[in-house]
Amino acid sequence: MSSNDEYSDEDIEYYDEDEDMEDIDDVGSASEMELDPLNDLNDPTRPQRKIFEVEYESLSQNDVEKLMRADIEYISSIFGVEMDTASLMLRWINWNKEKLIEKYMDNANAVLMASGITQADKAPERAHAGRSPSSSAHQSSIGPRRSSRRIAPEPPKSGKTKILERLTPPIEDGKFICPICFDDTQTETLNMTCFHKFCKSCWHAYVESKVRTEAESWISCMAEDCSLVAPDYFIEGVLKEDKATWDRFQELLVRHFVGAMPNLKYCPYPSCTYTVSCPVSVSKTSLSSTVPIVTCGASAAHKFCFGCHVDSDHRPVICAVAKMWLQKCRDDSETANWIKSNTKECSKCQSTIEKNGGCNHMTCKKCKYEFCWVCMGPWSEHGTSWYNCNRYDEKASVDARDAQSRSRASLERYLHYYNRWANHEQSKKLSVELYAKTEKKMEEMQITSELSWIEVQFMKKAVDEVIKCRTTLMWTYGMAYYLERGNEKELFEDNQRDLERAVEELSELIESPIDPEVIKTLRQKVTDKTVYVQKRNEIVLEDTAKGFMDRRWKWNVPVEGYD
Amino acid sequence: MDARLRRVNKEISDCKNDKSSNISIDLVDNSPFHLIGEFDGPEGTPYEGGHFKVDIIIPESYPFQPVKMKFITKVYHPNVSSASGAICLDILKDAWSPVLTLKSTLISLQSLLCSPEPRDPQDAEVAKHYMTSKSSFEETARYWTQAYAGGSGKEVRGKGRADGPRDEIAMAGLERAHVEKFQAMGFDRTKVIDVLRRLNYRGANVAQINDDKVVDELIKS
Repeated sequence: MSSNDEYSDEDIEYYDEDEDMEDIDDVGSASEMELDPLNDLNDPTRPQRKIFEVEYESLSQNDVEKLMRADIEYISSIFGVEMDTASLMLRWINWNKEKLIEKYMDNANAVLMASGITQADKAPERAHAGRSPSSSAHQSSIGPRRSSRRIAPEPPKSGKTKILERLTPPIEDGKFICPICFDDTQTETLNMTCFHKFCKSCWHAYVESKVRTEAESWISCMAEDCSLVAPDYFIEGVLKEDKATWDRFQELLVRHFVGAMPNLKYCPYPSCTYTVSCPVSVSKTSLSSTVPIVTCGASAAHKFCFGCHVDSDHRPVICAVAKMWLQKCRDDSETANWIKSNTKECSKCQSTIEKNGGCNHMTCKKCKYEFCWVCMGPWSEHGTSWYNCNRYDEKASVDARDAQSRSRASLERYLHYYNRWANHEQSKKLSVELYAKTEKKMEEMQITSELSWIEVQFMKKAVDEVIKCRTTLMWTYGMAYYLERGNEKELFEDNQRDLERAVEELSELIESPIDPEVIKTLRQKVTDKTVYVQKRNEIVLEDTAKGFMDRRWKWNVPVEGYD
Repeated sequence: MDARLRRVNKEISDCKNDKSSNISIDLVDNSPFHLIGEFDGPEGTPYEGGHFKVDIIIPESYPFQPVKMKFITKVYHPNVSSASGAICLDILKDAWSPVLTLKSTLISLQSLLCSPEPRDPQDAEVAKHYMTSKSSFEETARYWTQAYAGGSGKEVRGKGRADGPRDEIAMAGLERAHVEKFQAMGFDRTKVIDVLRRLNYRGANVAQINDDKVVDELIKS
């Protein structure tokens, strides 16, 4: 696939190497941004690429079709074949041009047969005679097939002539009877170069069922054992009056093409037809230092990771760690929470015990140790004060509780990170709800006061920023859980704390009541804070990204790509 | 008229008019989309003399999607489930073509009975039996044909009926002597048959499975 990029380069405008260098410099001198914060805020689609961003391009279905077309034209011009023929060959070989050229030069006929363009039999109208060579050619291209079963052991009288009858259009009184629907009133028939003729409505029903129910773009002739595949022009003719299915067919072609290209990925959001091209982050090694978060051109909300299956922004954490964290949350969170709130460990053998009724005099099932559920101290020291523990501060009880807390430390540690992760996720949702309410109020204010539309937009900017930063914060907790203790982690957590504090302050401002009298000062405050929060977020993202590039982060578990 | 209905009606009437193929297709109730196909076991095979019934469901998008078929008559065959009658055949799946008909599909089923494909089995136990000892497999298949597919489609139990125990052993494709050997050790007959069938205690395999292994399995079960 190496020279694949070589050809597609002509069609995709990538950033220049030199430009990239400048971008990084710009990020370094942030003074410009501070001088003109509002302008910066009003223009979120700044052209510079930051260190924590990857270069990518969003492509519409049309753009991808152009890329496909370029490949097809290239093959078509080299081989001197028609575009539809080149297209079928490329689809057959999964768009690997080099492999196709190699195979075609080696044996052009074999390629043409395997990609369903020609059949082994040169006289297809003599279906009976062509049967055995065609089926053997089939076997060699698609692998072993049980064609022997289909040659049925019919009584000799009917024999194989039956099959011949089915394949050649039965003509009665000069009228065509479709061998599939047996309708003699159909006037329009269609066939490919194999001359297997069927009525147009059967073709339509067949293609529609393939495209719609099976999501299949590789559609072979309806005749039994015919290996010819319908080229685009034929499908277009069949679907002339069914634009929806034709559109779906073209989408399937694009999906097939995108699926074959490692530098392309289809937007995972429902019914989105955009594709993202991300040339740098195809290799596994680059995924251990960069987080290729991309957004498709359909909507700014269609954010996804090019490197893994997370359908949202998981910066600053790399894919491997994000995956581990999500898995851990899925597996452990509910269980851990339940264990935390419903059980205690035996102070002697550390078995986890659930108290599901009865008195506070516990006897461990495993080690037979007797203790008090309330103070965790040994029961023997309780004397006669049963059912009413007042020994909470006794030495033995304190020791027992200490032992218990140590055994719970790892659980607590996980829950510390998980609860903060979950809290930011929850706050993110609440911010969205709050914003919906605020927006309504501001709309009213536009009508009742002198304020213009542009002047009340600051709130939307602030909420967007809060949501963005909470996403970052969520993932910083996922990352911190796996970071090994040390100076680097402390610095990381300092940055995290600064961002968190700023975000909470901004969140609070957003929630303050809006009145026309105070809106001017509120606007100033919110705008300032938004700029600050944005800056803090970038610091976290930048520093983490740099850390990945310098291999500064040390993990407390083995991480893919780190040895 | 609905194209699917026209096509199915034509197929049914074509089949009725064609006496030479010995294949019949009948309606189950009043709907032409649920049918029963019948054909005779092919000559020169263990299925000879049997009469096989197939349940046929015509899907909504027929003939552009394949017809759904399964054996009603119990068949001992590597590509047919001995429990449910489900069939493993390429033309009922991805190799289906809209020009294939109910009749041609039933003929394909008939030919499937001639040429089992044990490397792509539906019923793994039957397939193992076939691979280990073809003659023993054929004997069992013949026995099933007699017991389930004998006569004019009616389920006649055959001669073995009075002799209950022998029936079970032959049904599982096992040797009477083998079963009795382990039965003599005090194990329940049904259990012995079950374990020996699972272990594929047939043909050359018998020499490879020592008695301890069988006893182990018998104790576990």
